[in-house]
Amino acid sequence: MTVRRLALAAISAVGLLPLVACGSQSDATSFDGGERIVSLTDGLTESLFSLGLGDQVVGRDISSTLQEASDLPIVTNDHEVNPEAVLAVRPTIILADEDTGPETALDQLREIGIRVEIVPKAVTMDGIVTRLRAVARIFDVDDRAERLADRIESDLASISNLPDQGVRVAFLYLRGPAGVYLIGGPGSGPDSVIEAAGGTDAGTAIGLSAAFTPLTPEAIVEAAPDVILVTTTGYDSVSGLDGVLALAGMGQTPAGRNRRIITAEDGLLFSFGPRTPELVRNLHDEIARLMSDTGS
Amino acid sequence: MKVRRARSGVFDPRIVGTVLVVLLIATVFVSALVGAYNVSPGDVLGSIARRLGLTSGTPSDRTADELVWVIRLPRIVLGVVVGACLATAGAVMQGAFANPLSEPGIIGVSSGAMSAAALQIVTGFSPLGIWTLPVAAFLGGLAAVAVVYTIARHDGRTEILTLVLMGIAINALAGAAIGLLAFMSDDASLRSLTSWTLGSLAQSTWEKVLIVGPIAVVGLIAALMMARTLDLLSLGDRAARHVGIDVERSRIKVLLVVALMAASAVSVSGIVLFVGLLVPHVVRLFVGPQHRHVLPLSVLFGAVIVSLADLMARTVLEPAELPLGVLTSILGAPVFIWQLRRLRSRHGGWV
Repeated sequence: MTVRRLALAAISAVGLLPLVACGSQSDATSFDGGERIVSLTDGLTESLFSLGLGDQVVGRDISSTLQEASDLPIVTNDHEVNPEAVLAVRPTIILADEDTGPETALDQLREIGIRVEIVPKAVTMDGIVTRLRAVARIFDVDDRAERLADRIESDLASISNLPDQGVRVAFLYLRGPAGVYLIGGPGSGPDSVIEAAGGTDAGTAIGLSAAFTPLTPEAIVEAAPDVILVTTTGYDSVSGLDGVLALAGMGQTPAGRNRRIITAEDGLLFSFGPRTPELVRNLHDEIARLMSDTGS
Repeated sequence: MKVRRARSGVFDPRIVGTVLVVLLIATVFVSALVGAYNVSPGDVLGSIARRLGLTSGTPSDRTADELVWVIRLPRIVLGVVVGACLATAGAVMQGAFANPLSEPGIIGVSSGAMSAAALQIVTGFSPLGIWTLPVAAFLGGLAAVAVVYTIARHDGRTEILTLVLMGIAINALAGAAIGLLAFMSDDASLRSLTSWTLGSLAQSTWEKVLIVGPIAVVGLIAALMMARTLDLLSLGDRAARHVGIDVERSRIKVLLVVALMAASAVSVSGIVLFVGLLVPHVVRLFVGPQHRHVLPLSVLFGAVIVSLADLMARTVLEPAELPLGVLTSILGAPVFIWQLRRLRSRHGGWV
C-alpha cells in the first residue's frame, strides 16, 4: 500500500513537471472557453467524463480510478485535500462531495478565488441521475445530461424487475495488511447495488445503522450471508479466495461453507454512473449462477 | 572559539544563537518559496508588501499572490510559534523539575488536549464552528494540568514526584478515553484522530495565528523571565528553598506557563513528538545548563526544527503530507545522539 502511494506520488510528481516548467504563465483562467476542472472524488470524475467534459478535467484525486482519467495528474487525497497541490494544476473550478475535507482546505481554495462546488454523493440508483444532472447544471450542459439520463433510466428500468432471489449478500470492505474488516450496511453504496440485483443486504438485514461497521466474527455468523461481495483490491489484499474464507467466522456462514464469493472492481462498485446498471445485472446473474451451482 | 571549546566543552551561545537565527531565516524563506505551486521570490515579497499596504497594483500571478498569503505564510508563522512554544515549555519543565526526562506531556497537557480534541472529533459537537476543535484542545490541556496539580497538592504543598505520578495517572485515564473514542469513531473521524496524534500544520490560518500567537508570546516572555529561578530550582527543591525561592509559588508559575505554551501549540498542530523533550537537551549539550542561554536558544532551535520538519512534511511526498511528528523525530534524534556521544567521550559521562 505504501509502495503504491509512493509510486502514485512519484507518478503525479512527474505529471506535474510540465506545469512547473511553464509556471510563469500568469493567467489561471480558462482555455478555449472551457473550465479547468479538478475533481476530488471518483464518482464526480466519472460524471464529468460521461458528460463529455473529460477534456476540461486537469486533475483528479487518488480515488479516481476511472480508466479514461488515468492520464490525469493525481493532485490530492480526497480526505486530506492539499490546497497547494490542487492549485498547482491551475483549476478554475473544483468539484467535491460532502465527505471531502478538511473544511479549512476548501475554505482556503474559496478564499483564493477558486469556485468550489459540492455535489452530494450518489449511493442509490436514483442518485445516479440526480448527481449527473447536478454536475451538468454547473457546466450548463443540461441537454447532454438529459440524453444520458434517458439512457440510464431505460437501463435502470430494464433491471428494475430482476426477481428477488431471497439471497442474503454481505458486502465486506477488506484491507488485509491494515487489519480493516468492515461490513456494509444502509447507505454504504453496495447495499443499493445488492438490493437492485435482487439480493438482500445482509448488513442492513441484521439491523446495522452505520454505512460501515467493524466486523466481528459473531457479526458475520449472525448476518449469515449466502454470498459475500468484496472489492477486487480487498480480495487481493487478503490473498484471494482462501484469505476471504480464512476470516474468522466465515466458515460458519452459508457463503463460506459453499465458497460463494463475488468480486467487483472498487471504482465500479462505488461509482454510481452509467456503468452501474450493467454491474447490477452482472451481479444478479453471478448470484443466480453461484446459488444454482451449489444449492442453498 | 577553539580555546573556548577546549576549556568548557561547549560552544559560545552567541555563535550558536547566530547560526540558529540564520537557519531560521533561511528555512522560513525557502518554505515561502517551495511547494506544489510554483512561486517566485517576487511573488512572495509582493504578496507581503501588498497586504502591508506598501505597494498597490495587480500582482503578475494573482493565484500565487493569494496562495502565499492565505496558505503558506500562516503555516510558516504557526510552525515557528509551535516549535518555539514546545521547546521552551520543555526547557522550563526540565529545569523546574530538576529532571532531564521531563517534558510538557508528563503533566498531562498533550493527553488532556488530545482527549478533548478526540471528544470533539467523534461527537462532531461544534458550537463554535471550526474553532471548536482548537478551543476544546486548548481548554482540555489546561484542565488536565489543573487536575494534576490539584490532586497532587497536599497541605498547600506539592512534591515533584507526586506531580509526576499524578501526571502519569491522568495520562493513563486520558489514554483510555482516547482509545474508547477511537473505538467509537467512524472512518472519517478516525482519520482526523490519526492525523492529530502525529501532528500537522496543514490547517493553518491567520485566524489561528491571531488567537494562539498572543497567548504563546505571553508564555514565551514569561518563560524567558524565569531563567534565574529555573537555575535555582534545577538544584532541587531543598537547595532552592535555602537560597530564598518560594518553591510552591514558582511551581504554580511554571505549570501555568508550561500549560499555556504547550496547550496553544497542541491546539493548532496536534501532538508533535520529540520537540519538547529533546530540543532543550540538545541546546544544553551545545551551550551548557544556564537557563539564560538554554531558554532563548530553545525558542530558536524549536522554531527551526518544526519549520524545517514542516517544510519537508509538505514537500517530500507531494501531494501527500507526511506526519509532522515523524519528521521532527527524524531530524532531531540524530543531532541529539551525535551531541550526546560527543560529550560522553569528552567527560566520560552522559550529561
